[in-house]
Amino acid sequence: MHSRALPLVAMLCFASPVVAQLPQDLARERTEYLTWLRSAPTSPFAAIALQRVGAGLTLGPAGSDVMLSGVAQVRVTESAGRVTLDSGGVSTPLTRNRVMPLGSYRLLAAGAAGRTVLLVFGVPREVRTPVYFPFAPAAIDTVTLRPPQRRQSVLLLAPEGIDVEADEAGSVTVSRFGPPVSLRVRRFPGQSAEEWELEIYFRDATNGRGSYPAGRFVSLQPLGNGRYLLDFNRARNPFCAYSSVFPCPAPWPGNTLTEPVAAGERYGPAPEGEQ
Amino acid sequence: MIPAVALALAALSTPSVAGPWRAALDLAGGTLKFGVEIAANGSLLRGTLCNGRQCDAFSAVRLDGDSVRFELADYAASITAVLRGDSLVGAYRNVGNRGPRVIPFRASRGRWPVSPAPRWLSGEWYALFHGSVEDTPRIFEFRNGPAGLEGTIIGNAGDYSHFSGEATNDSFALSRFDGSFVYLLTGRLVGDTLRGTFHAGLKAQTAFDAVRAQGPSPLKPPTAVTRADTTAPFHFAFRDVNGVLVQSDDPRFRGKVVVVDAFGTWCPTCHEAAPSLVELYRTRQAQGLEVVGLAYEVSGDTAVDGALVRRYRDKFGIPFPLLLAGTNDVDAAAATLPQLEGFTAFPTTIFVGRDGRVRRVHAGFYGPATGAQHGALVAEFSREVDRLLAEPAPPGIP
Repeated sequence: MHSRALPLVAMLCFASPVVAQLPQDLARERTEYLTWLRSAPTSPFAAIALQRVGAGLTLGPAGSDVMLSGVAQVRVTESAGRVTLDSGGVSTPLTRNRVMPLGSYRLLAAGAAGRTVLLVFGVPREVRTPVYFPFAPAAIDTVTLRPPQRRQSVLLLAPEGIDVEADEAGSVTVSRFGPPVSLRVRRFPGQSAEEWELEIYFRDATNGRGSYPAGRFVSLQPLGNGRYLLDFNRARNPFCAYSSVFPCPAPWPGNTLTEPVAAGERYGPAPEGEQ
Repeated sequence: MIPAVALALAALSTPSVAGPWRAALDLAGGTLKFGVEIAANGSLLRGTLCNGRQCDAFSAVRLDGDSVRFELADYAASITAVLRGDSLVGAYRNVGNRGPRVIPFRASRGRWPVSPAPRWLSGEWYALFHGSVEDTPRIFEFRNGPAGLEGTIIGNAGDYSHFSGEATNDSFALSRFDGSFVYLLTGRLVGDTLRGTFHAGLKAQTAFDAVRAQGPSPLKPPTAVTRADTTAPFHFAFRDVNGVLVQSDDPRFRGKVVVVDAFGTWCPTCHEAAPSLVELYRTRQAQGLEVVGLAYEVSGDTAVDGALVRRYRDKFGIPFPLLLAGTNDVDAAAATLPQLEGFTAFPTTIFVGRDGRVRRVHAGFYGPATGAQHGALVAEFSREVDRLLAEPAPPGIP
């Protein structure tokens, strides 16, 4: 009875020290990401198929490898790294990493030569707005990137479910969530030849209990002199969390925090009253 | 009197963005500075984006209430900002397939102060970029220009275009932003070595060190980057922006010297190479030179790419054919020209003799920012073409 009578002003006073204000840059980043999910032609919410081209794929009517209504059968093949779309005796190059229309659909050939995957996009389904844990200032740390034991590249699945060649970038130690853990860092290709992202694919005790079961990605923000900002409030789900079209990257061995990291993107709705 | 007051009040209530602006992109590791100049002619706005003395026009500048939008149509990019008093605050954006590419933008009225190039920095430096898997060489060239410290970075695939910046005591920062390249080079002199960071985009940072240039260049010669099969005539067959198939076997190319320019409208270095190719064609077409541009574009959509290539053609007054050859993914582009080995650079210039065989492949281009090297390369291209034009046509070809 007493608590029901608690005035709103008092509730706000109690709430303010607990729920920290979302920093402007993080709010902006989340808004931009939502806009991209809603409007980009290659939004994961518009994806309807992802298949390895392998020995060849057919697209079109029933019986095709990828059934697309209103599309006459076409065949996609890869030879010496070149991807080709054959339809009615006409052969069209399908350029890697570039969107190509096919009827009301869009095609994207992606991935490394010899391991090309074909993504098919249609009309975007309803976009599920990403849901986040409350902003947690304690989930922000400054870390030092230690160089890798061996300088090498590895072929692995990027957050968008496509094989990329990533460089071993080293490791960082995280001690804010249980005993100190060394997390492996990899350098993923960016959107231009000179750009890249340092990414950590990690698991923690919230996986399957509020966050995506397979783990989440978080990128390092450079601070200079080998120091980086590691902000788990920026942790993001791989695309497989949005659509079963995308395969999930296998967790990186050893990249597990034993305590819960209640920050960043959730999986499923937030508990009532949290947001 | 009253109408005059009303007009003055109306003018005061309408925000004016005309004039010079000190603009900046806030990268994770530093501030990339550039200039913006806006001129108003009635309600029509025009603007330029300046890296030091080098300015390029925005394709459009629009003011809607207190929001300004600068279009960079060549690169399918834009800057949007809100006017707050004497400040503009917003973001630079272009769209990728893996997520948004967004970098915070801000500007205040005025121009960046001119910072002359100090003697300790001016000149040529041999640099090593420390990657996570391998180290790769670059050359830095710094000098004093009309707008102060300027220069460029040269790699195996050519230069990174014109940089401008500032130097204080033992530190320096030079940058380049043109709507596509987002580059910032920062560092300081430690002993006789420059140590610093090359920033690309919002977050990528590559450490480097550099020493005064001495001895042979650490770069591969541009003719050694890409090789060609010379056992058979060089073959290409692509459609132009009107859908007409143009191929190497066409009568227009038979018995001629052909310069093939593999370029992209998204590639600022290609923009810098275009005028010299136009000049080469204009001065030597009558003697038997043909030039053809192979465009490797971003979208892979004929309508979108065709519009960008037409715009590029009109911008430079290009009189030779430009063909839609593919997209700018390195593997995909290489697959369209299987006779080339190691095709990784835009632009790549292929010199074909009168017998149809490749005589030389030049990866990259030294733009005007490289100073004397630019002039030397343009002259070298002319000499190469003149040598090939002097050869007799194969038997049976008039």
